[in-house]
Amino acid sequence: MLQRAENYSRFLVSDPVAKAKIGQSPNRIIHHDRKAVVRLFAPAEVKHQPVFVSMPLINTWTIFDLLPGRSVVESLNKAGVPVYLLDWGRPGPEDSQINLELLIDGTLRRSMDRTRRDAKTRYGADQVDAIGYCVGGTYLTILLARYPDLARRLALLATPIDFHASGRLSLWANPETFPLDEVIDGHGNFPAEMMKQSFAWLRPMGQLAKWKSLWDKSENADFRTLWAAMEAWNNDNTDFAGAAYREYVRRCYFDNALMAGGWKLGGETVDLSKGKAPALVLAAADDHIVPPVAAFALKDRWGAPVVARTLRGGHVGVCVGKELPAALLEWIRA
Amino acid sequence: MAESQENFPDFTKMSNDFYKQWEQSMTQWWDQVIDSPAFLDAMGKNAAGYAKARGSWQKSMDDMAEKMHVPGKGDLVRLARICTMLEERLLRQEDHILLLQDRLETLEKEALQGRIEAAEARLELRDRLQKMEDLLVKLADAPADARRRKSAE
Repeated sequence: MLQRAENYSRFLVSDPVAKAKIGQSPNRIIHHDRKAVVRLFAPAEVKHQPVFVSMPLINTWTIFDLLPGRSVVESLNKAGVPVYLLDWGRPGPEDSQINLELLIDGTLRRSMDRTRRDAKTRYGADQVDAIGYCVGGTYLTILLARYPDLARRLALLATPIDFHASGRLSLWANPETFPLDEVIDGHGNFPAEMMKQSFAWLRPMGQLAKWKSLWDKSENADFRTLWAAMEAWNNDNTDFAGAAYREYVRRCYFDNALMAGGWKLGGETVDLSKGKAPALVLAAADDHIVPPVAAFALKDRWGAPVVARTLRGGHVGVCVGKELPAALLEWIRA
Repeated sequence: MAESQENFPDFTKMSNDFYKQWEQSMTQWWDQVIDSPAFLDAMGKNAAGYAKARGSWQKSMDDMAEKMHVPGKGDLVRLARICTMLEERLLRQEDHILLLQDRLETLEKEALQGRIEAAEARLELRDRLQKMEDLLVKLADAPADARRRKSAE
């Protein structure tokens, strides 16, 4: 017990979260789009079609490359898959007027277009497969419903489609109690700190459980490294561009417009039935942010065949487990 | 000795069990609190109040900077916003250029295909002309041969 207490204290005193090195896989930037960039993780030997990954806008992209041995991009690269990853960057106060049309029809569409061009030049690939995680997946789904030829196939991970099935989050994000306009008018962007606190409050006891798990496994060096890396990633939230956040919460959480319809983006109705890319929907069994039912709702709306599959883990934990890379590789090889 | 150890309570297990029970009861309590309309209403008002205070503070800072004739955060944000808009326009121009490049490539391919087809047609025509010329030469030679044969007779 005393030895464990000593290990625990020594570990915390060494400031492990600040020292944690995440997102270390070598990559090069092939496209700049304001603050967003497309990073290419090139494999040593190309064996498969390139994939494009649309990450969430709430945290950083590094959850897909957390640590060696716990990295989705590393696993895909090892299997010979070139990975083009969209890193949305960090919006500043000057980006508060960037709306969803600029993000989806602008940044996301352009990033996919430049990826397609680069993949053709570099790898001779005519088309790419697209992967979306969380809200990055929601945006990707909307984009591919509007521009079906941009990707050959679509894989979504923990991507909300039926927002009213998103558990506690949908209960909180309702127009009666959530002062959306006041918050955005006051802050400009939706602040990263507020986002972090909101997610922490989704499971208040989860904060304590985090410290307890460290206590229980403080003698395991690998676990300590993973714990520190997860903490580093978790603490690194980004602001959400104000106008885009206003539209996102209003349309998705208040109106559940992807299910109910009637959402006009850039003068055009968002209609998921226009999607042509066959889709794989992956959900995490213990996901309290996007429960499987919220993700699998795509089956009722998408215009092409949808295969649904549940993986072990939570909303974030699923990214550092072994099941996700295996499921993606199976899909890529199919 | 062994018997006394078996009877001795396992404090680690006991503390783990106690923690689990306590965690479960606390989770239930928190669930009731954070899902209650009263809590959500209060949190909403709190967030709105904080945002309003933050906005007012920012405005007062900008007003003060203006009175001191120095650029405030609002001025810098406006400047950065212009840069962002310019960047967006440049990106749209890049889109147009790439689109034009695609069309030019298509046109180039079509034009090249047209030239290849025209060249093939010309070659075909030349071959036909050559054949016709050979036939004409043969026909022109035929009466002369006939005259020669007649005079010899």
